Amino acid sequence: MKWGMVIDIKKCMRCHGCVAACRVEHFLPLHITWVKLIAYETEDGGVLDVTTYPVRCNQCKEAPCVDVCPTGASYQRADGIVTIEANKCIGCRYCVIACPYQNRTFLRKSSDPGYFPGYPQTGYEIKGKKLYPHQRGTTTKCNFCAEKIDYGLENGLKPGIDRDATPACVNTCQARALTFGDLNDPNSNVSRLIIQRHGKQLQAGLGTDPSVYYVDGKHGGNDNKAPEHAMTGSHIQHLSSVEDRAKELFPWLKRDNE
Amino acid sequence: MQARRQWITPHEWMIKPTQQTEWIEGQGILIWMAEVFSALGMGLYLVSIYLDNWWGALAAWFIIIFLKLPFHFFYLGRPWRFWRAIPPFTDAWKTSWIARGMFFTTVFAGLAMIQLITTYMLNHNMVSEAMIGPVTVLDYTMRLLAGLFALLTGIYCGFVMSYCKAVPFWNTGLLPIVFVVMGIADGLALILAVGLITGGVDFHAIEYASQWALILNVILIGTYLINASYTSATAEYSVMQLIRGKVARAFWIGVILLGILVPLVVSLLSIFVLPFMPLLLIFAVIAHTIGAFALKYCVLKVGIYRPIISRVPVH
Ligand code: SF4
Ligand code: SF4
Ligand code: SF4
Repeated sequence: MKWGMVIDIKKCMRCHGCVAACRVEHFLPLHITWVKLIAYETEDGGVLDVTTYPVRCNQCKEAPCVDVCPTGASYQRADGIVTIEANKCIGCRYCVIACPYQNRTFLRKSSDPGYFPGYPQTGYEIKGKKLYPHQRGTTTKCNFCAEKIDYGLENGLKPGIDRDATPACVNTCQARALTFGDLNDPNSNVSRLIIQRHGKQLQAGLGTDPSVYYVDGKHGGNDNKAPEHAMTGSHIQHLSSVEDRAKELFPWLKRDNE
Repeated sequence: MQARRQWITPHEWMIKPTQQTEWIEGQGILIWMAEVFSALGMGLYLVSIYLDNWWGALAAWFIIIFLKLPFHFFYLGRPWRFWRAIPPFTDAWKTSWIARGMFFTTVFAGLAMIQLITTYMLNHNMVSEAMIGPVTVLDYTMRLLAGLFALLTGIYCGFVMSYCKAVPFWNTGLLPIVFVVMGIADGLALILAVGLITGGVDFHAIEYASQWALILNVILIGTYLINASYTSATAEYSVMQLIRGKVARAFWIGVILLGILVPLVVSLLSIFVLPFMPLLLIFAVIAHTIGAFALKYCVLKVGIYRPIISRVPVH
C-alpha cells in the first residue's frame, strides 16, 4: 500500500475547512498549520480568476527531507508516509531548508503562545497537549493522519472510504475536492482519478515523486461536484472570483481599477 | 469608496521566489557564524601545517572547537540531543551531509589534538632519543590525516547547501569549491595575524600565495555567478539580489571590496612597493576577515526557493 491524495483545484473554494480540521485533529499550536492554501490571481481578457492550491506535505516517494536528516528522525514508513520521530529530532532544520515545497515548520517557542495568548490554557488545550504533544525545538509537518490510518486498518476499515480511517482534511472538505486512497491499487479512487484526469505532481521535475496529485477539472467529467446545499459564504466568495457573479453577489465590491 | 480587496493571497511565499530564513535570520545567525568559523578554522589549519606553524594550528583548532561547534550547538532546537547526529549513533551519514560533517569535525578535533601534542613535544625536545623516530612518524601521519579532515570539515558546509535542489542558487558543485578556496585565502590572512603576534612567519611568501588565492577567488566567484544566471530563473533572481538587490551592499562592500580588493592591493603593495608595514597588514587581515563573514552572509541570504506553482511567472 502507498497512500496518496488527489486534489481537484477546480472544486476547492478556499474555505479553509481543511486547515481548521487538521488543526483540531492534531491540536496544532496557534501559529502552525500543516495544510496551507496558496491562492493566486490570473487575469484573462479583463476577467479575473482566483486559483487555489491546497498544499500539505506531499509524502514524497524520494523525499529530500528524509535524505538530509542527520539523526534519522525523519523517515518513510512502508506505506509511503513520511513522518518525524520527535524524540530523535535535534532541531537542525536541514529538512525545513531541503523541502522544495516548504511544507515543514520548525516549532519555536513563539509559534506556541497558547490559543489565547496572555490567558491560562483552556481545558481543551491542556488535554490536547497530552493527547498530541508537539515538542518545541523540533520540526513538524502533515503526516497524512497516520494515526487514523493505523487505527482504521487495525479495525478493518478502509482508508479513503471509511471516515474513521481517512485524513481529517479529506473528511471535512465540503466541496469534495480531496480524495484519499491507495496509489498501488490500480482500481482505487485515487489511481482512477490520476489516470482519467491526468493528475499532476507539484515540481515533478525535481524527482521527489510526490504522493499528492492535482487535477484541475479541465480533463474529464465533473461528477463529484459539491451539493448546492453545501455551498457556504466562502464557497460563494470563491465563485465570486468570476467577476460578473461577484458584482451580483457583492455589490459593494469593486475592483481596484474601477 | 476605496475597493475592499477580497482577493487575498494567503501564501504568496509559495508562488513567488522566497528567501530561506531558517539559516540566516533570528537564531539562524548562529549558522552563519558557524559556517564562517568552519572556513576560517579549515583554512588556518591547512596553511599552518603546511608552513609548520604550531601556533597557527592551535588557533585553528580553537576556532573549530570553541567557535564553530558551540555556534552549531546553540542553534539546535534540542541541543542536548546533538550526539544523535554523530556516527555511530546515527546511520544517516549515508545520505546526510550534516551527519557526515559532524563526523568529519569530531575526527578532526581528535587527530589535530594529537598532532598539536606530538609537534609540541618534538619542537621542545620532550621526546627521548629512542622515541624520536616513532613520534615523528606519528606526527606526520597526524598532520596528513588531520589536514584531510580539516579540508572535509570546511568542504562539507558547501555540500550541505549544494545538496538542496529546492534552492537553485546553492544547487551546484561549484559552491563547496568556492568555500574551500575562500577558506584557504582566509587561512593565509589569519596566519599573517598569527605571525605578527608570535613571529616565525615569512610574510613575503604568504603575501605572494595570498595574492594568487585572491585572484583565484575572483575567477571562481565570477564563474559561479555567471553559471547561476544561466541555470534557472530563480538562481538568476538570486544573482540579481546579490549584485543589485537587497544584499548588494554586503556583496560589493563586504565580499568584493574588503574581502578581495583591499587584501589584494595590500599584497601587491607589500610585494612590489612598500617595506614591511605591520599596520597595513593588520588592516588587510581585518578587511579579509570581514570579507569571509560577508561571503557566507550573502550566500545564505540569497538562498531563494523555486516557486512551487510553476505556471506563475517567477518575477
Ligand atoms: S513535501 Fe517536503 S516534507 Fe513532505 S515528504 Fe516531500 S520533501 Fe519531505
Ligand atoms: S530538524 Fe529534526 S527532522 Fe529535520 S533534519 Fe534536523 S533532526 Fe531531522
Ligand atoms: S492529511 Fe491529516 S495531517 Fe495532513 S493536512 Fe490533512 S488533516 Fe492535516
